[in-house]
Amino acid sequence: MFEAAALAVILAAALTLVRALKGPGVYDRILAVNVMGTKTVALLALIGFVYERPHFLDIAITYALINFIATIAFLRYRERGDLRI
Amino acid sequence: MKVRPSSNPVTETVSALLIPFMQLYALYLVAHGDLGPGGGFQGGAIFAASLILRAIVFGLDAEEERRYESLGGSLAAAGVLLYGGIGLLCMARGGSFLEYPALPFADPKTAYHLGIYGIETGVGLAVAGAMLLLFMKIAGSRDD
Repeated sequence: MFEAAALAVILAAALTLVRALKGPGVYDRILAVNVMGTKTVALLALIGFVYERPHFLDIAITYALINFIATIAFLRYRERGDLRI
Repeated sequence: MKVRPSSNPVTETVSALLIPFMQLYALYLVAHGDLGPGGGFQGGAIFAASLILRAIVFGLDAEEERRYESLGGSLAAAGVLLYGGIGLLCMARGGSFLEYPALPFADPKTAYHLGIYGIETGVGLAVAGAMLLLFMKIAGSRDD
């Protein structure tokens, strides 16, 4: 069951990658990258269940935290034109 | 002195909720590194990321910027000092560099564990400090 769910998440990530490559706008791409990160978190958790290694949840949490910061930083860059704080 | 970046209640609320959790999680990663994934590098990186998130979302005034830079330099230097200090202490007590059982503890096993914890803490401090310093040099408004 977890294998099927992981495959579905991979399929969704592939579709997201298409959106990230095609655009057309920059916000489509930012959102696509953000969704990709969320898919990665779900996939890491599922892989942890498939291989019965609960430590993967730690990696998933780490990835979720870093992903959020990258999106915020990129949107701030879009809004202001530079990263000066 | 500096005007605050355009504030957004969503990012500010989420960041305010997330930053303490991230810092606690960074400490967990450093302390738990020998049993699971993680360790000094990852813990230090996440700790610095939490401070960087705070700077991006809430902005820094001149005083905070100065404090961030000095904190980064101090953390990086303290981490290297801790790492090298433990290594050299092992040498001073007759072992080779980073030979933990030579540390002054009663039980070699205890010495081994505490030695690794010390090393991991040193790596975490150094990574957090270096990341913070790099971010301030790139994104800070001071020119020196």
